[in-house]
Amino acid sequence: MSKSSVYSSPGFDFSNIVRNNFLHEKGLPLPKATSTGTTIVGCLFKDGIVLGADTRATEGPIVADKNCEKIHYITESIRCCGAGTAADTEFTTALISSNMELHALQSGRKPRVVTAMTMLKQMLFRYQGHVGAALVLGGVDSTGPHLFTIHPHGSTDKLPYVTMGSGSLAAMAVFESGWQPNMEREQALNLVKAAIAAGIFNDLGSGSNVDACIITANSTEMLRNVEMPNVRVQKERDYKFRRGTTAWKKEEIRSLVVEETVTPIGRGDEMDTS
Amino acid sequence: MSLRIVPANAQKSASVQDTAGSFGLHDTLQYGPRSIAVEVKSQGTLKERLENWEETQDNLKLNLQRNAHGIHLPMRVLMERKLVTSHPNFMGTSNLHLDVLMGRDETIEPADVFLGMESSNPLDIRKEFEKRYKA
Repeated sequence: MSKSSVYSSPGFDFSNIVRNNFLHEKGLPLPKATSTGTTIVGCLFKDGIVLGADTRATEGPIVADKNCEKIHYITESIRCCGAGTAADTEFTTALISSNMELHALQSGRKPRVVTAMTMLKQMLFRYQGHVGAALVLGGVDSTGPHLFTIHPHGSTDKLPYVTMGSGSLAAMAVFESGWQPNMEREQALNLVKAAIAAGIFNDLGSGSNVDACIITANSTEMLRNVEMPNVRVQKERDYKFRRGTTAWKKEEIRSLVVEETVTPIGRGDEMDTS
Repeated sequence: MSLRIVPANAQKSASVQDTAGSFGLHDTLQYGPRSIAVEVKSQGTLKERLENWEETQDNLKLNLQRNAHGIHLPMRVLMERKLVTSHPNFMGTSNLHLDVLMGRDETIEPADVFLGMESSNPLDIRKEFEKRYKA
């Protein structure tokens, strides 16, 4: 007896559940998904939204990517920063970006930030937190600038300034002491850079450079690596030898062709026009 | 009449129904030998939640339609769906009319990304034929 076939399948293969539960009961530790420690922030200013993120992706205690991009594209004037499991944030934001584009084509209107937020929260709630994506969603649409935060279990907040990730406390400390309503663009960008820098220097899971994205009603500016406080110093010693350091000792040329004879087959190189 | 939004955690006992073949018994050819571990269902895992999600939401909508407009409306909706699934398509596996009726013709789901076209295995086509010639 098969289920009614009008419904679409969840898309995932659960055939190993019995085996995994059995192994887990026997004491085998389930593999932990690689999660990124992160500092991601968003802040509302006079003309729109500034989003910021660090650029380190970790795999346990190892830095997996020194310059990864955590500010994902949703639509032209909506971006989403992602903390948590890197694959989950990338896949979720890509899926919602595609769905937003389809929705915008179908409705004929510019997409709204609340639409993206609703799609994301409904999807994350459906997966009961197993999709480990903590997101900061910000953008400007026809109703104005909006900034949301979405937690892995599907709860959302609408706030003027938000931070997420392992470095969120350090960044929030900077925001709490520095944020004011109706800031200018430069002031907001400096505040975001300071908040991310606080996360980079005080949290092990965040590091490398600062990415920022400024979204206003007319334009979206993606400032990749706007601040690089962790540039590697030039190595003092060089391991390459200068050309001409050693002269040759000996030169010997050995011809691999011992004897060569050419035997024409057929009529040779002429074209066969028979 | 339940207005559940989220699938319930049903505690089922051991059952052979999921793997039953046409005789009503466990179908060893398709699913392998019987084992108690597979048949005893555990309570509410992610798998059941995801599999029953769309059905639960659909039941909610149909119940609300019945409350607002009367029994005829969910009846028509289900009739349209049945009409659309009654004719099996042998070339493709994606039923566009069904997608339009279910409201998922303009969305992309994880199932579209991960499963694609290979969700119909050859055994299912034999089942489709069985269904056609049985009734």
